[in-house]
Amino acid sequence: MPTDTAPAAEEISYVDAIHHALGDAMRADESVMLMGQDIAGHGGAFKITRGYLEEFGASRVRNTPIAESGTIGIASGAALLGLRPVIEMQFADFITCGFNQTVNVAAKMFFRTGHPVPLVIRFPAGGGVGAGAFHSQNNESWFTQVPGLKVVAPAFAGDAYRLLRAAIADPNPVMYFEHKFLYRREKAVVDRGAPTPTRIEGGSQVLREGEDVTIVSYGWMTHRALEAAERLAEEGISAEVIDLPVLVPLGMDGILESVRRTSRAIVVHEATITSGFGAELAARIAEEAMDSLDAPIRRICYPDSPPPFHKGLEARRIPSVEGIVEGARALAAW
Amino acid sequence: MKRYPAYDPIEYQDWSPDPEVMRSYRGLVAESEGIQRSLERLGPAGLERLQRGLLRNRLHDIALKRWVRTGVITKAWLGCGEEAATVGAVHALADGDVVGPMIRNAAATFERGVPLEESFRAYLATGDSVTKGRDLHFGDLAHGVVAPISHVGDLVPVLAGFALAFQLRGESNVAITWTGEGATRTGTVHEGLSLAAARRAPLIVVVQDNSVALGTVRSDRFRSALEGMAGGYGVPGIECDGNHVLDVHRAVREARELCVAGEGPVVVLARTFRLGGHATHDEAEARRLFDAELFAEWGKRDPIGCFEEFLKEEPHRIGGGAEEKLARWEEEVIAEVEAAAERSLASRQTAPPDPEAMLGDVFAGGSGS
Repeated sequence: MPTDTAPAAEEISYVDAIHHALGDAMRADESVMLMGQDIAGHGGAFKITRGYLEEFGASRVRNTPIAESGTIGIASGAALLGLRPVIEMQFADFITCGFNQTVNVAAKMFFRTGHPVPLVIRFPAGGGVGAGAFHSQNNESWFTQVPGLKVVAPAFAGDAYRLLRAAIADPNPVMYFEHKFLYRREKAVVDRGAPTPTRIEGGSQVLREGEDVTIVSYGWMTHRALEAAERLAEEGISAEVIDLPVLVPLGMDGILESVRRTSRAIVVHEATITSGFGAELAARIAEEAMDSLDAPIRRICYPDSPPPFHKGLEARRIPSVEGIVEGARALAAW
Repeated sequence: MKRYPAYDPIEYQDWSPDPEVMRSYRGLVAESEGIQRSLERLGPAGLERLQRGLLRNRLHDIALKRWVRTGVITKAWLGCGEEAATVGAVHALADGDVVGPMIRNAAATFERGVPLEESFRAYLATGDSVTKGRDLHFGDLAHGVVAPISHVGDLVPVLAGFALAFQLRGESNVAITWTGEGATRTGTVHEGLSLAAARRAPLIVVVQDNSVALGTVRSDRFRSALEGMAGGYGVPGIECDGNHVLDVHRAVREARELCVAGEGPVVVLARTFRLGGHATHDEAEARRLFDAELFAEWGKRDPIGCFEEFLKEEPHRIGGGAEEKLARWEEEVIAEVEAAAERSLASRQTAPPDPEAMLGDVFAGGSGS
């Protein structure tokens, strides 16, 4: 049901937070438009854009052919002329077909020419849903390595809402990683009437304070880190859990401050371990807080293998609560 | 025009009008109602702009070649022999239209109003250039010029995006880009055209078929395939003689009219020939690899020589006194190019790129870099 004014704070799911962030941004700013495969009428693979064709019309809610490169290119051009396109990759995995437009056209435009490209690409990412090798990847580090792209990966419905509004307002290309496993499982009270940031800024948030070990994560794995901290508390290990909703630009201050206090650091993510974003986090911690460390930094990540289709096999690869607990235990006993 | 034996391809050094070529050049003008309309539209002032643009393009390239020869720069990507495909096209546009050139279409930048020295400064990577020394591909949206990218073909969807924005805003402007015949085989060109076709976007894609790519001649089969390209997208296709600046003007003017009438996108196929190397470094290699006949035949069709000869034959088009006018325009353009080159060389001394600034501007809005 279209509304002109946002309702009072209410509990909504992560997927609805994304739905509302798109709608509210379009109501607030006529230059915002949506592009993607089957997003009009059909509402997209996850029904996130449902109702928007009817509310905003076909000129602002545009179906595209199966043409990721063409879509990102056309969005970049429109963005250069002042529109604010938000592209839905049907699945994060499909970005490969639009890679050059993303990393060479959009990412480098401002640096090369001084013209901003206010563009958002939404990436339904992540596993845990038995969707196999081409519908489960966590490919955020393909983009964190490219200067000129901002990269976000919210873990909570509230952050999903605020960060998407900020991403749309930001004058840069923003890669917005939304986790499919969290879509209908994660819920939070979101006040859609509250002001939202107009830029994606780096920074982390302490979700649970602790003294013995710092666990840093993002996306779905932040939830597992919190569960692990709960279990660890029962064993007398006090874990601090830090969520990193924005990967680029990277705000390390909160993480370093925490590690200097706890002297132990674990980095958890669902993406594969080698050259994953955790490697960057571990390197930064080592570079800037080595003196405070009492144990080696530990990374708990997906092994270097493609996601299997079988749900049970997949589950064995995704970092588990037990795996995080074991890692923390080992560090605490170091 | 004056010839430059040290820099011109041999076919241009002692160029004189070939009677047969000129017969067909004139014949096309006489037979084509479209060219007649272009001539009316252009008038004497428009024809002067075309001639000055062609000269500016050639002399800009010669200046770069001179710099390569004297070690000022190491390499340049030139449009020698293909000037009409750029100059004829941009002069058929209107204020507010946006162009997305390839590096070989450098004239599209200065013919749309970007100061000529910006192209030189881009090659010299001076700190006061548009890109501050960050890229030799440059553009300036203040003049409606989108910077090229090395991945040829990839500007097709980007310019389709401009076209889409014009459409959404109800503005009657068009976006135009060029792609070589080789780049038409990329997926991105296909995707960009498919998207633009589905939306009737006011986009003109000039397929600048210069017959060769690096060291490969396109096959006859591919030559024919390009003729059917527009039909494959269900959009209008217009073919033109890419060495005939009036025919290129006609084709792009008609394409523009179709776009504004909601019949876009339009594929303009301009047949021409790269009378040099892929860049300055492989000119001799191109001569070794390609049939000498290609150079000889296309050499007779120098787009500048032919246009000058046409104006001399029909001086009333420019209000008479063709010889005197052509000489004066050329003198002025020579002075203009030389002055721009000198100003750019001075920038190299006075405005080297700032190493500190080189790290900045990764993000717009100043945060997070």
